[in-house]
Amino acid sequence: MGYFEKMIGITKSPPAVSTSEITWSWIGAFFGIASVALINYNFLGEGSDLVFIIGSFGASAVLIYGAIKSPLAQPRNLIGGHVISAIIGVVFYKIFHDHLWLAASMSVATAIAIMHVTKTLHPPGGATALVAVIGGEKIHALGFMYAVIPVGFGALIMLVVALLVNNIPKSRRYPEFWF
Amino acid sequence: MDISDDDVYEAMKEVEGYLDITPSDFKLLYGMAFRHAVLRLTQAVKASDVMTREVVFVSRDTPLVEVAQIMAAQNISGVPVVDTERKVIGVISEKDFIFHMGGENIRSFMAVVAHCLKTKGCVASMMHHQKAEDIMTHPAITIKEDASTSKVTEILATKNINRVPVVDQEEKLIGIIARTDMVQTFCTIFVPPDNQPKK
Repeated sequence: MGYFEKMIGITKSPPAVSTSEITWSWIGAFFGIASVALINYNFLGEGSDLVFIIGSFGASAVLIYGAIKSPLAQPRNLIGGHVISAIIGVVFYKIFHDHLWLAASMSVATAIAIMHVTKTLHPPGGATALVAVIGGEKIHALGFMYAVIPVGFGALIMLVVALLVNNIPKSRRYPEFWF
Repeated sequence: MDISDDDVYEAMKEVEGYLDITPSDFKLLYGMAFRHAVLRLTQAVKASDVMTREVVFVSRDTPLVEVAQIMAAQNISGVPVVDTERKVIGVISEKDFIFHMGGENIRSFMAVVAHCLKTKGCVASMMHHQKAEDIMTHPAITIKEDASTSKVTEILATKNINRVPVVDQEEKLIGIIARTDMVQTFCTIFVPPDNQPKK
């Protein structure tokens, strides 16, 4: 197959999911994000140095509530992918904080590589690594704490919600595997 | 077995929830998994599991008349030829009879018929006093009892033979596997238990 021929594609997109699946995805995502957002906005307070919610949790919600059979959505990938990527992001920010373009690109690229190596590939992990670099003063001030709160603890709460919500309907089961 | 993108698409529709795989990737996986399954199953089943144990055989000095009668009575198209220790020394098939009836010019059953009608005589008459060892194909191709069925299939295909005698570790004849036995084996392996004919 030629170089440009490959760009045509070889198959059609997967079928649409049922209304029930869409509904339960919505419910899961609502409660998952609500949990971390509530803590962030209602319990930490405005003067707190901590944050409890980051943008990459929105992407995680797509997977762990909307595509629960995906290997990328399993607990090992959710927790492992986020925490590993967060550490990598912090490390590269500390090394290249004077060259943010380099810190940003190195952190995301390395996060993907290490997630592959550790079998924890979780696409939102790329965003988690990036946020560690471009997230602003409040994130930078957390240092390696960023990997624990908001990343580790937030992902854990979203996992608990996924376990509780995804197993309610008979047609759904989560997780496919733990480790 | 080949499946289409549409087959996969329809199957995906039957599964509740979003499957994070494209139909073509699924087809690729299915094909590879199927090949692994075939290999695993055919290696797990041994020659001794599929062979016919009550094997009909003749000895090297059995008259061809008797060999032909045995093959006709048993409705088989070939028999192993064994020595006094029951070791396989050759195989006689219908082809061997045909080839030895008329030399180079007769290579099929219809050639035999044509020759008989033309000469008003039977071409087999010249074989009246011959014995099994005179027309058998030798050395015999055999297979050990613990060989996998994939090996049996390979031998039947590459050697272009219809049956292969099965021997034990001492090379003694203990059974025979015909192509039909292999078909039956594959049917048993790949047909779901619920759909298999009742024995």
